[in-house]
Amino acid sequence: MNYFRLALLLPLFSLASPARAATPPAQIDLSQFQQATQIDNVVVPVPAEIFLVLDKIGTPNWKGEMRDVELKIGKRHQIALLLGTVIADGFVAVEATDREKVKDIGRDVLKLAGAIGVRNSVLGRSNSIIEKADKGDWLNVKRELDGALQDVRNAMSELSDEQLAHLVSLGGWLRGTEVLTSVLNKSYSKDGSDLLHQPQLLAYFNGQIKAMPPELRETSLIDQIRRRLLEISPLIEDDEISKQSVAKVHTITSDLVKSILQKDS
Amino acid sequence: MKLFVRLLILCLTLVLPAWATVDDAISAAMEAADPYVKDGFTVREDQWGGDLAVGEKKAFQHTLFKGNDYWFFIATDTIKAEVSVHVYSSEGKLMDLEGWQKGSHSGTRFRPPSTGSYFLVVQVEESPEDRTHWALVYAYK
Repeated sequence: MNYFRLALLLPLFSLASPARAATPPAQIDLSQFQQATQIDNVVVPVPAEIFLVLDKIGTPNWKGEMRDVELKIGKRHQIALLLGTVIADGFVAVEATDREKVKDIGRDVLKLAGAIGVRNSVLGRSNSIIEKADKGDWLNVKRELDGALQDVRNAMSELSDEQLAHLVSLGGWLRGTEVLTSVLNKSYSKDGSDLLHQPQLLAYFNGQIKAMPPELRETSLIDQIRRRLLEISPLIEDDEISKQSVAKVHTITSDLVKSILQKDS
Repeated sequence: MKLFVRLLILCLTLVLPAWATVDDAISAAMEAADPYVKDGFTVREDQWGGDLAVGEKKAFQHTLFKGNDYWFFIATDTIKAEVSVHVYSSEGKLMDLEGWQKGSHSGTRFRPPSTGSYFLVVQVEESPEDRTHWALVYAYK
């Protein structure tokens, strides 16, 4: 037995071990992580995660969920929300495998990013979205849309515009929820309605709005969003969300997405 | 001028490695996720990271959707350090489906029994450093 060779090989076995470093506790006290629900420690999912489940449990008419949007450029907070909704539209267009629509959205993302001064941060992504849509590379179009969302948010944070970064996420959530509830309105299922059970994420968005400076929080559009998100909260709290509740959430999110399109909000 | 240049180099020496290691941890975490792309997983383009002391934990609240399959990957660029990520319910119950540890990389799989809020708890298990940089990414299908 060549013990020298064995000694050389042993570290390789330990590195490749599938065993965990330590057994995690089966139960923990989450109150020690009170900061987890603060703004920086909340992960906001992308619409693609929800749409993926909808595809698994049914056959949504994604083309029917697309919309034609006339971009109206108003104040920065309106543009940030609109940008979020347009990126969400990109995920819908990917589901519909609509190349031209995705390419249009890639250009719209660039235009809106330019309107709030972060054009350079998404230029590469926008071009990549168009290029990959042309090839029908839908998986990577989705990644680029996700990346565009993060790039815009990061660019806004670098400009000390964190509030606008949050509004981009909120816009995406509103449009994503509008689409989700539209699909469920047409074909309700318990499994589908379960996807709406996001009370903690809604509380997070409510918290973001509450933390905004008054000059932003008290604008007509943000105030409208704040009030209507409070209407949504009780509708999505329960484990079972009824067809009637889905319809109400759809009405609210549709109204808000329409308001975001208005230049003078 | 010579004093200025020396001070500048000193500052860069102190600052740049710290910046570089968070990025290195992100690269390592993305590498850990890469093999799962072939299995049909989509890796998010967003990452989370920071630095922790040995035994110190941090939690992220995440809305996860029933019907999806998730993998969470955590990595560090510190040699001989080990980091972990586990999924807990809102009631603090461990929810991991399976997991693995490979040196400075770790992965945890989770399938939500219902849509809702879950907590990703990251921890530095071992490290030769006082504070260890880490990065977290996730994939879904």
